[in-house]
Amino acid sequence: MICHLIKIIDKEKVHSSIIKKFTPYIFLFIIVLITGCGKKLPEDKPLGFDSVTLLNQDSSNVLFPDMYKNKILLVAFIYTNCPDICPMTTHNMQLLQQEVEKENLKDVQFAELSFDPQRDTPARLKEFGNIRDIDYSNFNFLTGKEIDVKKILNNMNILALPGDTTKTQGGIVYFYTHTDRITLIGQDGKIRNEYRGSKANIQEIIKDIKTLED
Amino acid sequence: MLILLSIFTILTHTPKINIENAWVRPAGKGMNSALYLSIKNNNTTSDILYKVGSDAAELVQMHQTVEKNGMAAMQRVKSVTIPAHKTIEFKPGGYHVMLIELKRDLNAGEKISFTLYFKRAGRIKVQAEVKHT
Repeated sequence: MICHLIKIIDKEKVHSSIIKKFTPYIFLFIIVLITGCGKKLPEDKPLGFDSVTLLNQDSSNVLFPDMYKNKILLVAFIYTNCPDICPMTTHNMQLLQQEVEKENLKDVQFAELSFDPQRDTPARLKEFGNIRDIDYSNFNFLTGKEIDVKKILNNMNILALPGDTTKTQGGIVYFYTHTDRITLIGQDGKIRNEYRGSKANIQEIIKDIKTLED
Repeated sequence: MLILLSIFTILTHTPKINIENAWVRPAGKGMNSALYLSIKNNNTTSDILYKVGSDAAELVQMHQTVEKNGMAAMQRVKSVTIPAHKTIEFKPGGYHVMLIELKRDLNAGEKISFTLYFKRAGRIKVQAEVKHT
């Protein structure tokens, strides 16, 4: 590439002193270009915890993240009492699932982890999924022991703080202030990108999945 | 005289507040959902939506989702002002009418009845479709 550039410069008969002046910058530009090309996705972070056993919507054990080894995983963080943001995130995950199928992308898995395990039992997660016509073929809703869920959230930088509360006849209903996120995990189990869950750009994520597939 | 009466009748029957695109998210009994809609105020003065009622949920409240630094939170709002000749959108990620502890499943395709209470326009009944979006 440098030779090619030099040839062009020769052809244009630019003064040699100009070439000398700009050669270091040309080298620097090429180095930056090569380094940039090697790192196609912005993140390359290990999850930083040993696998934990969670339960899916059918109460089956899911060893997270081991079960997703050598697969591309999109994981979102939700709670089923959320009326606005989490349903938007879930809808985006459905759109991604449909797009992955349409594009015939292989070995892509989907998971939504509840940060409200006390209320979000497997049965409740199943109900949440069923009413949204979720295709469970490569999609799991996950819950688990509070300590295990917290371990995952802490390591993946997800915050979920009980906040806004409302009294009903059945007692107190609480809502969360929470991180709005979908995380992309590569085949090597590392975080490769993070997106806003409720406002995710479907095509951007599909592009990232294709990058991981290459 | 008849013409004047007709004009008067038309004018007085023109809806001053228009409710459009009302829809609700599907959700199961005991869970929460949200109503979204557009409120168009055709009046020359502002109006205030101060309450929404429905028998579909134990509790119906107006809320606003606020997102800051990647964190999403909800705030209860007591009322929403609809300025004259303006439209206020209740949409995902913004204002929404929260349906807390649903009394029954809300399945896609169903219609749910709501009553909107305005300071000036009074009660307006709305039918909202349950749909996935």
